[in-house]
Amino acid sequence: MMNMLRRLDATGYPLLLARLIVGLIFLMYGIEKVSDPIAFLKSIKNYDLLPLEPSWFINSIAVILPFTEIICALALLSGIGLRSAAAVTSVMLLAFTPAVYLLGSSLVGTTPEFDTLCNVVADCGCGSGAIPICQKLLENCGLILLSLWATFSGSSKFRGGLGGGDS
Amino acid sequence: MNSGDIEANSTSSDGNADSKGSCSCSLFKGVLKLVLLSTILGLATNALRPKNSIDLSRNYFPTLAAPVNPEVSQANGEVGIVSTGENDQGDPATNVIQDQSPPDDGIQRLTFEDVRDHFLTAEDELSSTGESIVAFVDARVRDQYEDGHIPGALWLYHYESESLVDDLRPQLEMAFFIIVYCNGGDCEDSIHLAADLGSLYGLPPENVYVYEGGFNEWKDNEMPIKTGPEAR
Repeated sequence: MMNMLRRLDATGYPLLLARLIVGLIFLMYGIEKVSDPIAFLKSIKNYDLLPLEPSWFINSIAVILPFTEIICALALLSGIGLRSAAAVTSVMLLAFTPAVYLLGSSLVGTTPEFDTLCNVVADCGCGSGAIPICQKLLENCGLILLSLWATFSGSSKFRGGLGGGDS
Repeated sequence: MNSGDIEANSTSSDGNADSKGSCSCSLFKGVLKLVLLSTILGLATNALRPKNSIDLSRNYFPTLAAPVNPEVSQANGEVGIVSTGENDQGDPATNVIQDQSPPDDGIQRLTFEDVRDHFLTAEDELSSTGESIVAFVDARVRDQYEDGHIPGALWLYHYESESLVDDLRPQLEMAFFIIVYCNGGDCEDSIHLAADLGSLYGLPPENVYVYEGGFNEWKDNEMPIKTGPEAR
């Protein structure tokens, strides 16, 4: 099994796929958040996970996090700082995904339509708008796998610019 | 930043070029550089953007420390009439204020019926005397305000209220009923703005009310709506 994974990794295609998918999604979501930081600030507050005092803490997160996403996305797409960017996206996804689950769980039963977690539709503040929570969780799990792959990949192929090949 | 990371990548791809410890160290340094760059870019962009910037030191989600109206506080958890006849200023209060199980956050809340009655009274006062003791305040973004608001409502977007409030101060200080609303539902901007009006901006907290049903409920009840940038 491990040998098969190593051989697959050596082709470089999983790494390329991970860079493209994670990079483009983080770029899209990051730009969406930068365009409306107030909406993102309100989303963070709605999670009820971070302290509102001192104010600068939650405000700074709303200001900085979207740029972290954009810079990581550009790093993944360009190949500059690839492993570091993949490590950061992995950590962010590993932190956000349980938070999205908790947000979805807190909404179960609040309206007749939200009778189960998978029927909950909410805006998680991720930049994707209001979508079914289960779909979001599934998407995040996929992104976690891809980010971790990009972090730990030993492939020498597809590490540079996307136009090039090997680096 | 980039050269270090490129180095980290190439060493990892070589596989045996470096020890595992130095590889982790390079990765850690790369992560630090990414975070530092994000911080600088985020803070700089926030400082330079002409609108939609976040004031880092401001508490955007305030609540009042204590109930402003003891009667409201006593009415928590039960349906009750909390104000009839004359208000605290000795002025004729034209409406009964009902409060149904409000959260104990010190914010006075009004139902649709209360707000409708205040609105009709304000319209009568305006047509007869040209002045009104009721002021509606719309806490939503400009686009939503222009798409439709309660006639006469002043636009005071909660997240830019610091730069907008001074222009509206004469009208707000004249009013005995300042009724703040946003869209309703899970929108909390009206509650936070009401708290700011009563604490940060120095208006009498007992004059500030929140219409929780908000503009959506107002619209659903087919009440008058004004579109465009003008209040009325």
